[in-house]
Amino acid sequence: MMHSSRLTRRSVIKGGLGFALASTALTTLGLPLPARAAGKKVIIGAFADGGLTPFKQKIIPLAKEKGFDVQFLEDEYGVTLEKWFADAQSGAGQYDLYLLDDPWVPQFGAANVLEDLGAGGIDGADKDWIGPMIDMGYWPPQNGPRVKGFEDAKPTLICVPFVGDLQTLTYRNDVFTGGAPKTWDEVIAKGKEGVAAGKIKYPVVFRGVSGNPIVTSWYPVFLSFGGSFFDDKWNPIFNSAEGKASADFFVGTMKQNAPSGVVEFDSDQEGAAILGGDAGAIIQYSGNALKADDPAQTKVAGKLDFGVVPKQQKAIAQMGIFIAGVPKSAPNKANSIEFLKWYVSAETQAKLSEAGSIPVKRSAFGIAKPGNRLIPVALQQLDAGALPRPRTPDWAKVEELLGIELNKALQAGSGGGAALDTAAKQVKDYLTTVGYY
Amino acid sequence: MQTGTQARKYRLQGAGLDLALPYLMLAPGLMVVLGVLVYPLWDGLRASTRAYRYGSPVADVGFKNYVQLWSDAQFLNSLWVTVKFVALSVSIEAVLGFALALFCLHEFRGIRLLRTVLIIPMVITPVVVAILFRLIYASDAGMLTALSEAMGGGGVQILGNPLNAFIGLVVLDVWEWTPLMFLILLAGLQSLPHEPFEAARVDGAGPWRVFADLTFPMMRPVLAVAVVLRTIDAFGTFDQVFVLTRGGPGEATRLISIYGYDTAFKFQQTGYAAALFVTIGLVVLALAFSAIRLLRRVDAS
Repeated sequence: MMHSSRLTRRSVIKGGLGFALASTALTTLGLPLPARAAGKKVIIGAFADGGLTPFKQKIIPLAKEKGFDVQFLEDEYGVTLEKWFADAQSGAGQYDLYLLDDPWVPQFGAANVLEDLGAGGIDGADKDWIGPMIDMGYWPPQNGPRVKGFEDAKPTLICVPFVGDLQTLTYRNDVFTGGAPKTWDEVIAKGKEGVAAGKIKYPVVFRGVSGNPIVTSWYPVFLSFGGSFFDDKWNPIFNSAEGKASADFFVGTMKQNAPSGVVEFDSDQEGAAILGGDAGAIIQYSGNALKADDPAQTKVAGKLDFGVVPKQQKAIAQMGIFIAGVPKSAPNKANSIEFLKWYVSAETQAKLSEAGSIPVKRSAFGIAKPGNRLIPVALQQLDAGALPRPRTPDWAKVEELLGIELNKALQAGSGGGAALDTAAKQVKDYLTTVGYY
Repeated sequence: MQTGTQARKYRLQGAGLDLALPYLMLAPGLMVVLGVLVYPLWDGLRASTRAYRYGSPVADVGFKNYVQLWSDAQFLNSLWVTVKFVALSVSIEAVLGFALALFCLHEFRGIRLLRTVLIIPMVITPVVVAILFRLIYASDAGMLTALSEAMGGGGVQILGNPLNAFIGLVVLDVWEWTPLMFLILLAGLQSLPHEPFEAARVDGAGPWRVFADLTFPMMRPVLAVAVVLRTIDAFGTFDQVFVLTRGGPGEATRLISIYGYDTAFKFQQTGYAAALFVTIGLVVLALAFSAIRLLRRVDAS
């Protein structure tokens, strides 16, 4: 009898089962399993930013010594908000801790997807916190206007400040020889002298890209001109006379004294201009400022100094802190809260300050040897004035609408005031649609 | 005498398995289709009739989201930008693709290598293409600026100027997707019958007459399919814009896909974004059907 080698259902099933069993056996017996992670696992999600470099280089190794197994997952800034919000809302549980940009806190708070860290044992009333920074961790906010639906809710600590980032001025000390320029007029006038002397190519540089980048660059100018964004009823008032003057100055005078392609500049081009020696002054967060003394990262090491932002009426900067929240879906919730308690302790904050990062506890500013010259200047700026962006869950949309109009005016090189009028109407219409009034 | 296999077969039939077996075999595939196509489509349609706040549905609003779209200046602007982008890109790609296909139809030394080289842009990941073009266009350190400065000119403003940025995006798309047109049209040209062309040659028809009276009419169905496919694909262009301009400067390159993405994921207006994408889906379907109907009418006449 001839042996049949036809492929039958039974033979396929048998073969499949055999293959699966063999694979399992080989995996179990023959191949080494990955070593079990030692310590308390904490999966941290962060957006890529130079402001976190000291944390990554110095604090994560310390955390490991304390028994935490930290996994640090970085993404590009532009995709993290949507990615983490989807993770938190779907309960996917991909992260134990998000290092949020502070304007995102209301969005996560309103969606009720973050843990109550106060209930977890973190003391929001500790006097050592920098007041305006810990305030940003509460939803609804403890002070200022609240959006509809949250008027009577009890403020809950859903996030804790992680890196106390805020804007300060970085300037060329060979151009501004008398120290940090005090006013915007001085920035431009002395900057022009620096250009004429061939020391720099442009008096200033900033970010001009639509949306978050341009609004972030314009905001300290707006604050320094005395502008306010919303009134207590969420009516946009950023198109006040002061606001319009700041926008006209920004898209007019500042653009004329910045690189010609500033409309398309984001933080990488902005950083290249100041660290590459082309620009005289810049208002920036700590990401690029921390590179100012490293000859490997700047062509003008030793020529960059820090100061409080220039004023027109007031020297107020924008706060933009990294702030940590634990999603309700976190797979290692207890570990991440324990990690945060350790991280925000005065001792660890002192280590963070030593590592060169801006701390979130006042005591850590006073250590003998802060790891970066920027840290005492950051404290000066905090004392001079630093404000967060408005605490609304719809800030991303507001910023988008305003950013587009400012960007259009920047392209034109004029019409900043008119751009604010258009944006104010759009913001009002949008907030009306979503039920603010 | 029945063999063992036959006996087993009859036992299975007796159990009614022969009737159920085709459906059982189809079930896994059907479940996948239901899970990844039908359910999300249904869920998207349902979401489009709801209002969302902070990422969660709060009310059923019927067709209000659909109505609201037509008074949303940002939606209308991004729709107009998308239509301009698709029309310009696909037209240029069709003309260039056809020209290249006609050229590459001839057999000569090196033609195989040339055909291979021509399709390379199409196989590069769109995000990588966008990064490459960013390195070309950037006004501070881009290749065009370097070239211009080497020739004594100033910085080249592509991404900071609305018109230039839009043209720059079209150039990127044409560079990346003309090869697809080329490939489809070359396959179409190679499948045409030889006889009519030989007869035309015998009758003394010149190249233009052959193209106008034979090649183009015979290629029309293939061209229509290629154009419809590319049009549908171009309406969904996302990666390149996301990396290259993020929709700027201003709103000059904000395609509907970018606006929809921001609306859904950044602003958490899930219902509104669902209505937007359903509307765009219907527009694209209508365009595709119109193109096919037009083609049939032209062929019939």
